[in-house]
Amino acid sequence: MNYLDLSAEAFLLVPLATIIIYNICPKKLSEKYFYVFAAAVAIIQIIASVSMFYLMNVLHMREHNFIFLKVLGKSGMGSLCITYFSPVFLFCIGLVSFASVMIAMHTIDAKKTHYVNLLMTLITGMNGMILVKDLFSLYVFLEIVGLSSFVMIAMFQSKKGLEGSVKYLVMSEFASIFILTALALIFMQTGSLSYDAVGSFLLDGAASSQKMMIYFSVILLISAFAIKTGAVPFHSWLPDAHQSADTAISVLLSGIVIKIAGVYSLIVLTRLFSGIEAVHVTLATIGILSIVTGALLAAKQNHFKRIIAYSSVSQMGYILLGLSTGTTLGLIGSVAHVFSHAVFKTTLFTNAGALHEHFESLDINEMGGLQSRMPVTAFSSIIAFLSTAGIPPFTGFWSKLLIVMALWTSGNPVMAGAALTASIFTSAYFLRLQKKVFFGPLPDRLSEVKEVTGSIKFIEILLTAVTITVGVLFPMILVYLQNAGTI
Amino acid sequence: MEILDLKIIMLIAGLMMIVAGCYCIIRTYHMVKIIIGIEVAMKAVTMFIIMGGYMNGHMGLAQSYVVTAIVIEVIVAVVLAGVTMNLYKKYGNMDIRNLIQLKG
Repeated sequence: MNYLDLSAEAFLLVPLATIIIYNICPKKLSEKYFYVFAAAVAIIQIIASVSMFYLMNVLHMREHNFIFLKVLGKSGMGSLCITYFSPVFLFCIGLVSFASVMIAMHTIDAKKTHYVNLLMTLITGMNGMILVKDLFSLYVFLEIVGLSSFVMIAMFQSKKGLEGSVKYLVMSEFASIFILTALALIFMQTGSLSYDAVGSFLLDGAASSQKMMIYFSVILLISAFAIKTGAVPFHSWLPDAHQSADTAISVLLSGIVIKIAGVYSLIVLTRLFSGIEAVHVTLATIGILSIVTGALLAAKQNHFKRIIAYSSVSQMGYILLGLSTGTTLGLIGSVAHVFSHAVFKTTLFTNAGALHEHFESLDINEMGGLQSRMPVTAFSSIIAFLSTAGIPPFTGFWSKLLIVMALWTSGNPVMAGAALTASIFTSAYFLRLQKKVFFGPLPDRLSEVKEVTGSIKFIEILLTAVTITVGVLFPMILVYLQNAGTI
Repeated sequence: MEILDLKIIMLIAGLMMIVAGCYCIIRTYHMVKIIIGIEVAMKAVTMFIIMGGYMNGHMGLAQSYVVTAIVIEVIVAVVLAGVTMNLYKKYGNMDIRNLIQLKG
């Protein structure tokens, strides 16, 4: 067993084993040290994904196939695959989970064991989605991710949490019905649901009646995954669910779940059905709609987390625009934006957690001039905002640049122009947020406010460092990947 | 011709069930009715998968898909029922028109 297989198997084995070990532990121990278990899994995930990324580049591999639990015998549990961009997603899962655990140390007082168990199933589900090689397994892991998120939102049984959970659940059920119907229709035509079989079936040129079925199922699949992404015609659940959950859980939802459940599935879809031009046009339309509508709706909100949640809708639009080009450059841009969005959105939700210590309602009209009282929070929030708006040299700039370049070179200058223009809206709503929360004179009633301490401060500094470092080193990473032949 | 009839009847019946389930989710205000709507639509989908296996001869694969789909569906129904129960404790009824706290 070589090191490559070892890190590949760690992605599914570690969270599953942790569930067992954690529940065997005495209750007192597991309540007190819940963060140790969860943080250990996140750190192992980060290490494994970084080593995977490095090894695949050194060995010039575009994909690595392996069998889960090969040691137990040849039959195994089915073959899995890591493609050249998967380690980025896996790294984001690890990073966001780590941030979530650090926030949970502050914000979660009760139900710590529930939190750890659900986090582990969530990580298993997301890792599984990235590793599988057929559409039905993708659906199964998608449901695992969805179910863990529903329970996590409703976990504390507040009225708002239950409401957000119901909205998310009902919308997700539409997605499930659409996905299963589409899979049944594809299965009728092809006799198999593995990526290879579906892809080659479409290449061979199907009969016209079969093509109609395929078109119908592609429509259903795009709508289903757009629901999961929170793209604009289907965005209604997203701000409600993300606002009502505890901050440690909002970080997971906005930081990574919508990207894995929605965007990664759409990446699979565009790779399978790249021959159908309508897919690209649909994704571009949804993308532009999401960017503009999300930004405009964010500009009129007063709840801190709700503004950030609508910002997620808007940023998902950029990722969909990158995917709509269908080129490698567009894919790289989208994956890069997934990474930068994961980092800056996690920073902003961490700030929400820091502000929540003093402002129960998180209404931005109650805040003001907090810059002098909470310097670390203010600084990290401004860096995250600059990255969101696409100001160099932060990561958000490079990923947006790649997306705009991909749009331009694939013959879509109008879309590229629209994407650039829409960045102004991003600056608009974030400047409003910064002005109301951090800038200006400090009101007397807020003079007691203190900077947050401990793990939240640590994760704010860490994520800001990641934004700045990766942003500065981004061109070098791209050149390195190009020399290694990955892109 | 006979086999074609069976297929078309099943296809139409399945689509009608899916539309009925979705209509039920959209139009009713009672949580339990929403769960019933979801179940109706999912049952139609499982029928589709079986039909797919029957049409292309991969019955074994279709059966394994259906068993997995049923398990997932039951878990979703359980989670939804749990949330419904909590809503009933909070509000005293299961009307989704109570859920108006999150707006904007």
